[in-house]
Amino acid sequence: MAITQAMCTSFKTELLTGTHNFTNSSGNTFKLALFAIGGGGKSSTTATLGASTTAFTTTGEVASSGSYTTGGGALTNVTPTSSGTTAFTDFTDLSFTTATITARGALIYNSSASNKAVAALDFGGDKASTSGTFTIQFPTANASSAIIRIA
Amino acid sequence: MVSVGAGITVMSVNVSTSDGGGLSADQITDLAMDKILNVASTAPEPIRDQAIAFQENIRVVLKEYIDLAGREERATIVQKIREAGQQDLADFIRRI
Repeated sequence: MAITQAMCTSFKTELLTGTHNFTNSSGNTFKLALFAIGGGGKSSTTATLGASTTAFTTTGEVASSGSYTTGGGALTNVTPTSSGTTAFTDFTDLSFTTATITARGALIYNSSASNKAVAALDFGGDKASTSGTFTIQFPTANASSAIIRIA
Repeated sequence: MVSVGAGITVMSVNVSTSDGGGLSADQITDLAMDKILNVASTAPEPIRDQAIAFQENIRVVLKEYIDLAGREERATIVQKIREAGQQDLADFIRRI
């Protein structure tokens, strides 16, 4: 049982079949859900996320707290662009407030397309907030750092 | 045979958390700095030193104005609560 940082393999296939649209406003709705391992999730379930994840499931998801509700928070898409030969997309940072959360990772998924998985994110360790703010900051949107890049 | 090489990558995110309230001005400053300026460890030393000095200057200014924004927002909230007749609550928030 673990969370491994990875672009989901099914997402790569779905890119070739035109399943996902990251355009701002007119595109799909993407969400980010938080997950725990070691029984830290709701109902003491534990998450396994990685390249083989194909869709969002609630197993191991953290419980609702503060502004975090199960299923995760909606992301604001930044319309894909390119620089040189690299295309990339980004999301605006996401915060959950007045929340008591312990999470080890997250899943970005497309809630407009049957909750199909995009990417699993490993925080590298447990991150916790107690009656506080839990903020996920995406890297700078450029050809070398953006969260999702196709080179 | 013709083949086209491409790689698709997912990068890491930063996570900032707080206990018993929102993020501190220092944490918000760090979040902003990560977006504003990144100094590559591979940059030539004189350029890197100059960039780091510039980064520190921006950090100081940014932190000062984030603090100011917090104080001014609280001041507006205090005034609105006072106008609503909740003097004790207004004083409590003013002392935060």
